[in-house]
Amino acid sequence: MAGADTRHTLTLGFEGALKKVSVATPPGEPRPWDADTKTQVVGEAVPRVDGHLKTSGAAKYTHDINLPDMQHALVLRSPHACAVIKSIDIKAAENAPGVSACVALAKASDRVLFVGQDVAAVAAATPEAAREALARIQVEYEKQPFVVALEKAMQDDAPLVHTTAVKERRTEGDEPGAGGGAKARGNIRPAPSMKKGDAKRGLRQAKVTHEAVYTTQVHTHTALETHSIVVRWDDAKQARMTVWCSTQSIFSVRGEMAEMFGLKPQDVHVITNFLGGGFGAKFGASAPGSRLGFIAGELARLSKKPVSLLLDRREEHTCTGNRPDSHQRVTLGATEGGALTAIHVVGHGSAGIGTGAGIGRNAFGIYTKCPNILVESADVFTHAGPGTAFRAPGHPQGAFGIESALNELAAKLGLDPLELRIAHNEHPVRRRQFELGRDAFQWADKRRRAADQRGRNTRMRTGVGVAASIWGDFGRAKAASVTVTVTPNGGVEVRNGVQDIGTGIGTVMAQVAAEVLRRPLSTVTVKIGDSELGSSVGSGGSQTTSSVTPAVRNAAEQVKARLIALAAEALEAPAAKITWGEGGVASARKGKSIEFAALCKKIKGESISESATRPQTYGSHPMKFLGSPLYQIAGVQFAEVEVDTWTGVARARKVLAIHDCGRVMNELTLRSQINGGVILGTGYALMEQRVMDGRSGVMLNANLESYKCLGARDVPEIEVLLTEVHVGNNSTGAVGIGEPATIPTAAAIAGAVMDAIGAPVRALPITPDRVLTALGATS
Amino acid sequence: MKPFSLIRPASLDEARAAVTAAPEHVLRAGGVDLIDQMKEGLARPSALVELRTVSDAPALRELARDGDGAWSLGALVTLAQLAAASEFGAELAALREAAGSAATPSIRSMATLGGNLLQRPRCWYYRHAELVCLKKGGSHCLAINGDHRYHAILGGGPSWIVHPSTLASALLALDARVELAGAEARALPIAELFVGPKEDATREHRLAPGEILTRVTIPAAAPGQRSAYEAVKEKQSHDWPLAEVAVNVTVESGTIKAARVALGHVAPIPWRAEAAEAALVGQQPSAALIERAAAAATEGAKPLKRNAYKIPLTRGLVRATLHRALEVASPA
Ligand SMILES: Cc1cc2nc3c(=O)[nH]c(=O)nc-3n(C[C@H](O)[C@H](O)[C@H](O)COP(=O)(O)OP(=O)(O)OC[C@H]3O[C@@H](n4cnc5c(N)ncnc54)[C@H](O)[C@@H]3O)c2cc1C
Ligand code: SF4
Repeated sequence: MAGADTRHTLTLGFEGALKKVSVATPPGEPRPWDADTKTQVVGEAVPRVDGHLKTSGAAKYTHDINLPDMQHALVLRSPHACAVIKSIDIKAAENAPGVSACVALAKASDRVLFVGQDVAAVAAATPEAAREALARIQVEYEKQPFVVALEKAMQDDAPLVHTTAVKERRTEGDEPGAGGGAKARGNIRPAPSMKKGDAKRGLRQAKVTHEAVYTTQVHTHTALETHSIVVRWDDAKQARMTVWCSTQSIFSVRGEMAEMFGLKPQDVHVITNFLGGGFGAKFGASAPGSRLGFIAGELARLSKKPVSLLLDRREEHTCTGNRPDSHQRVTLGATEGGALTAIHVVGHGSAGIGTGAGIGRNAFGIYTKCPNILVESADVFTHAGPGTAFRAPGHPQGAFGIESALNELAAKLGLDPLELRIAHNEHPVRRRQFELGRDAFQWADKRRRAADQRGRNTRMRTGVGVAASIWGDFGRAKAASVTVTVTPNGGVEVRNGVQDIGTGIGTVMAQVAAEVLRRPLSTVTVKIGDSELGSSVGSGGSQTTSSVTPAVRNAAEQVKARLIALAAEALEAPAAKITWGEGGVASARKGKSIEFAALCKKIKGESISESATRPQTYGSHPMKFLGSPLYQIAGVQFAEVEVDTWTGVARARKVLAIHDCGRVMNELTLRSQINGGVILGTGYALMEQRVMDGRSGVMLNANLESYKCLGARDVPEIEVLLTEVHVGNNSTGAVGIGEPATIPTAAAIAGAVMDAIGAPVRALPITPDRVLTALGATS
Repeated sequence: MKPFSLIRPASLDEARAAVTAAPEHVLRAGGVDLIDQMKEGLARPSALVELRTVSDAPALRELARDGDGAWSLGALVTLAQLAAASEFGAELAALREAAGSAATPSIRSMATLGGNLLQRPRCWYYRHAELVCLKKGGSHCLAINGDHRYHAILGGGPSWIVHPSTLASALLALDARVELAGAEARALPIAELFVGPKEDATREHRLAPGEILTRVTIPAAAPGQRSAYEAVKEKQSHDWPLAEVAVNVTVESGTIKAARVALGHVAPIPWRAEAAEAALVGQQPSAALIERAAAAATEGAKPLKRNAYKIPLTRGLVRATLHRALEVASPA
């Protein structure tokens, strides 16, 4: 449909701050949902439509795929952190019992750079046979010096990780605009700085300054379902393949498999019916540190049998990506009255052999009242598995640095750390959130109680902290093509090739279609998780809901228009006179109407079916904030902790999460996302950490026993407050929440620990040893 | 995992014969630790001999008190059974609490008393399939110059493991004995079951090949005897202790007549804090006394570079546990 843009006057903003905004939409777009739109299904707390499949075990994940004659693949991985391969011989494995194919993944003279790097792979009739065969592969290594610790890798005499230029690996999980690097010096490769004003001058003007180093650990994604892929070549000529893959981006798997094996993308069929989590590590056919797609595809090609490659937990921890660590020197300057004059952060982080160890936009983008800000960052290479996008890449690290420094500065200034934040935040929604939390969390009372306990030197202490998040609206144009179909029997089907990473996107898609057609949710079926169902986005950047739901709405609106035309015919009235009522009843002016079921019976042919996408975000983001080119999602979290000063154990008791995510599409799945973000952030704050052995280069805790994810008893009470914002950016007004929900948690908990014990813990995770050290008990 | 056969003996003698038949035959009780080790490639038995099919030795399963008040706890009694043993009075509270604190509900319902005492250490160098340290027959301990945050502060060297058994701490505090069926039956005070690294760094217990631990006995309680167990963990679900303590005190007419303080996860063997015990005996319970005794609990500690934090942590833990056991109100 060509034509001119349409102008709408929409009611946008948030409660108490709504205004009329004129928004131009491209031709064919429906009037965007705004604050005046009263939805009936969208926004409701609707349980996931596939919940019973998951709880009953009927849901089939990639790990559950079992095909006739399927072979089991295993990968031989480097036991050395750095070594040159002198020779590699896979013959003996090829001839081992049960083996159907074997492939070398490295050749003589290749340099392996971390423990766990791909060396060779076999496929065999059973996993046991594959394991026996792996042991027969002969590899001769010449060991080289290596370095696995960030600070050691930064030293001039550190063993060099890369001897050639490094290619940056970016996925849909990375924040648009981040990254891009200059030339490396030693193992250090600077990334572009974020700069405004003159931070050096701002520091000279300051009357009070604070400078300290904050460090964070390497955090692994630890999705419950490990990386897994099953490949079957579908024809004797090996021109087509079907791939079952635990992926958060079906179409990136399709594209990469096609490219690797010289196929047309449409000849690669990718299926992800269910997915046990990804958190950023599951983009593309390969894991960040292991060529899974190639391995499974090649072994299947050689063996002419389907091949299943399922990683174990050790492999998952060591070669499928991680959140890089960080070492941030934060310098703040302020006037005596507490006005920030400068923020200067120098961040270093290691994504192992990979890139992308930045520290997000927290120091630069939140406390914008500060006139002078300089955030410098650099990747430091180490001999460890590559980092990759992980739920809000860089942000939890950056939040911990800047927010902790603000707490210490506030203490020096004798100011309430919350007031210091409110004074320097310019985002109107975030300001509202800070104020809401101040009351709802009884901030002042709890701070007084903490001060009283500190004063009396009690054994058990409580404390409170607060931190903020920043994220953008990264909803993508024309990426998701959604088909809505209505059949003569009255069934509504919504189809798209998007995967459900666990957020419940399928449920939300059903709600949107039900809303537009005004049909009961139970009559809408959703088909997702398959590349044959129409192109779609990866689940990353908190953009799935904002990329997919407008396309659902647009397709449903087009179907509705055709149904109205059909009704016009049946009721012998002009289409413009037909109104579409509750239940999908079409009425003409004179009280003549036709029920949905009767109307559908009049469908000629098999169905009415329309496919649609969504356009670019309207105009230049109708609700962009603060000179940012896009809409900024705001969030703040308040945390309360309890610290046992005798043993150093800090426990998160309560987190109040206050977030905006654009239009609330489903309150239940939204809360579930926020709960998940807080749980992840609490684990990051208090216990999760990769532990590397400096002498052998191995990860010592590549399991779920000493790599500690938050357990049921460690989960704080989570309260969620939603500050819905109508952004007028797309036809549904959806933005996103997945990433913002985890950004501030650890920083808020760290602030609460400082409030409780009266001393900062400047390193994550805040384990008992660090608390006892901060309390001066270990000296 | 290497393929293995499963032997299901009907009698204790058959079980002993099966285990001694070949060095790669291993007894399986709950199998929690054993299967873990097999999955990691640390143990490669050719046969597992099921202790649970033995039917001619009722002592293996009993949880009973005799006429004198002494307890007999069979090697196959599970941690879940001990945790739920409502027949344990205040004197055995430490054992009940220890059993209920270890591992997770599902593990506790499989794990047995015998297997818990005889499990292998969790040192992450030892558990790493590709690393060879002193305990695995290598030349030196990898933890000393490595990451030893969870390692021993007391009695360490040349291996610095901490003994993993939570039940052992409680049973040591309760002055238990273990009974072994072998070529000859024998009984040992539980302290003598364990082998320190100075004697032999490659093993943690004194069972001879083919010997089977049949039961643990606990002497009758004295009037006024009470016990308590507590652990400090980084994570409150599904985690190992950073340190744990079981205390067993007898208070008569306001005076501490006897005290045993056993520490876990601080030393290669379950550790008696004798200086703490000495500080308590003959005294009247008070907050000041408890603080002194707690400070004495880590006497002789020789931490490595990175685990000195366990000293104040252990003292804090002992202090908190003594407050509870001695019913002295904790300072606010
Ligand atoms: C996540 C996790 C957390 C844990 N936390 C704790 C904790 O906090 N505290 C704790 O104490 N434990 C903990 N455990 C360990 C668990 O309690 C032990 O693995 C379990 O108690 C072993 O008992 P089992 O019966 O399964 O022994 P098995 O695995 O069957 O046997 C262990 C060893 O003992 C031998 N053996 C067993 N019974 C006898 C016998 N009667 N005579 C002679 N030899 C015998 C076996 O041959 C084997 O070598 C944890 C385990 C996990 C996985
Ligand atoms: S502490 Fe013991 S088990 Fe651990 S590395 Fe040292 S010798 Fe090996």
